[in-house]
Amino acid sequence: MTAVPASGAGAASAALARRLRGPIAFVVFTALAIGGFIWSVSIGPEQIGFGALVRGTFAQGHNTQQLIVHLIRLPRALLAVLAGATLALSGAIMQSVTRNPLGAPDVLGVTSGSAVTVALATTIVPSLGGINQLFLSFGGGGIAALMVFGIARYGRGGLSPVRLALAGVTISLLLYAVMQGVLIAFTQNADLFFFWLVGGVTYARWADIHTAYPWMVAGIVLAMLLARPLNILALGDDVARGLGQNVGRIRFVSLVCVVLLAGAAVGVAGPVAFLALIVPNIVRRIVGQNHFAVLPVSAVAGAALLLYADILARHLTSHTEVPAGVVVAPIGATLFILLARREKIAG
Amino acid sequence: MTATPVAAPGVAVRVHARRPAVVIVTLSGLCLLTAFLTLGVGAVRVLEPHAIEALFGHGTADQIRTIRTYELPRVLIAILVGSALAISGGVIQGVTRNPLAAPDIIGVVKGAALGTVFLLWAYPLAAVSYLPVAAFAGGIIAMVIVYLAAYKNGGTTPVRLALVGIAVSALCESIIRYVLLVQANGIGHALVWLTGSLAAIDMNAVYQILPWIAVILPLLVFYAHKLDVLGLGDDMASGLGLSVERTRRIALALAVLLASACVAVAGSLLFIGLIAPHMARRLVGSRHAVLLPTAALLGSLMLLVADAIGRGADPPIELPAGMVTAVIGAPYFVYLLTRSL
Repeated sequence: MTAVPASGAGAASAALARRLRGPIAFVVFTALAIGGFIWSVSIGPEQIGFGALVRGTFAQGHNTQQLIVHLIRLPRALLAVLAGATLALSGAIMQSVTRNPLGAPDVLGVTSGSAVTVALATTIVPSLGGINQLFLSFGGGGIAALMVFGIARYGRGGLSPVRLALAGVTISLLLYAVMQGVLIAFTQNADLFFFWLVGGVTYARWADIHTAYPWMVAGIVLAMLLARPLNILALGDDVARGLGQNVGRIRFVSLVCVVLLAGAAVGVAGPVAFLALIVPNIVRRIVGQNHFAVLPVSAVAGAALLLYADILARHLTSHTEVPAGVVVAPIGATLFILLARREKIAG
Repeated sequence: MTATPVAAPGVAVRVHARRPAVVIVTLSGLCLLTAFLTLGVGAVRVLEPHAIEALFGHGTADQIRTIRTYELPRVLIAILVGSALAISGGVIQGVTRNPLAAPDIIGVVKGAALGTVFLLWAYPLAAVSYLPVAAFAGGIIAMVIVYLAAYKNGGTTPVRLALVGIAVSALCESIIRYVLLVQANGIGHALVWLTGSLAAIDMNAVYQILPWIAVILPLLVFYAHKLDVLGLGDDMASGLGLSVERTRRIALALAVLLASACVAVAGSLLFIGLIAPHMARRLVGSRHAVLLPTAALLGSLMLLVADAIGRGADPPIELPAGMVTAVIGAPYFVYLLTRSL
């Protein structure tokens, strides 16, 4: 986590403060995430003491309380951490590559491509579970990404950021309309329906985590390796080329990384709307534009956000479990409105 | 809501070659033909000519009941709602001089849906006749929010307005989902309705929407000429003696009211209000007196076909008509975006 290289000699203390912003933000969000994790594991219909909580966290055991912690609450909290971190990272990378604060996978259609592919395939052919679900998710997200970027290149001089965002949102609308239609027609299961519409970690099982974590970890590692190339890319294509970077390759690898991260998260946690849009935007406000700070802080902040959203979602109703996405979406949509209004984007 | 000077949509379309009267008569014929052909397409199939005979009371009792209570209201609603949405879109595009504006894009449709959901949440036993009022309140509030959020430095651009509109729609949608999830009863029906569907339509729905359309449509036709004058630009229009702001506000309010009444009956049907006026402009040019009727016929036609596909594709499964309109409309919208407007 190298901090921003301070430019110029003046105001050493201000430079130091800027340098420290990244690490401090990282520590704060990590602490928040850890607190959220403990909170998430400790609440539920069954009152469980601290001892059983700790034992259940580390071993399955045989008594009921330990089993509840180990088989229900732990995977849920873990999935919130993993999905939150990967979604936020995918957003940060995609925004950098598209140079567009709105260029998150949920705005540009990657998330919806993944969700719709998985939802349709598993509804029509229920045997396609487990690892296939993840590959379907990668495929759908990849195709949607290619589609949106294809549209972006179409027309004179490519699309402006705001038009690209509009095109992405419209394609998402289309995909979700198809999914809603097919799900309404083929299933009577409203829970399933909402899971694929809003996303959440309500139904997390260990199997999901086992399926997804290798891909997620690979994506996170790849994302961290991209920090330097993305910093150089931010200087502009010409400068990056002048510094000996293969701009096309950085873009391609970044997009693969986005599809990997977002696809893995959506495949097991559904399309948690707008998380990938809002977290990196907030993090950039706090730590600046250096990807060595933006990427790790986004990851922990995303994890924290999804953990707390899930906790809040559990307190909304007493009679049913509400997916966490339903809490994130209104917050995200509000921020989306504020971003869409900004001069730089909408010109 | 002063729009930045954007050329009136599709000014350059050649009109002289196509006679609006011919287009309108042809489209009316097509509408009638489609209505006739799709009348018997449903879970219980009644083949033509039996469907039309049953409508007039000949045939088995089953056939007559199927056609009169299930199929006829749907066809009527498709015609009414399709034309109302299209006219609403045409008026909004004319008033704002923004080719990307439409009730679904500037937040009216989702806002109206949210208003309806709120009413049903707060007063589950509210009479259906209040639904359009709640829808109108939601629609107009959403639209005002969209304009306030998109308004900057003394104006707005079509693309920014569209983006903010879609963002506000997403916000409304997320609140609707929240309400539905927290308030789990009756969720299945609400889901179908939200996607925009004519599946649960009966004759009452027709009687419910008919007064709104019967009152607002003539008013908007009366405004058609004023909308043309408005299209000349604010200065020219006020020079010609038109009170620009008042005309704009009244026309916009009527358009929003029309779209909201549709949402209260048929749910959030997207893209008809956006693309029907565009198609109409290509066919007959941008004079509102011919543009609005043409758009209305095209909207009816689109919704008739979409609903027929929805109920006829794989009976007895009902695919929502909103899904079909989205599949047609979304690519068209993206195409509009890629052109420089």
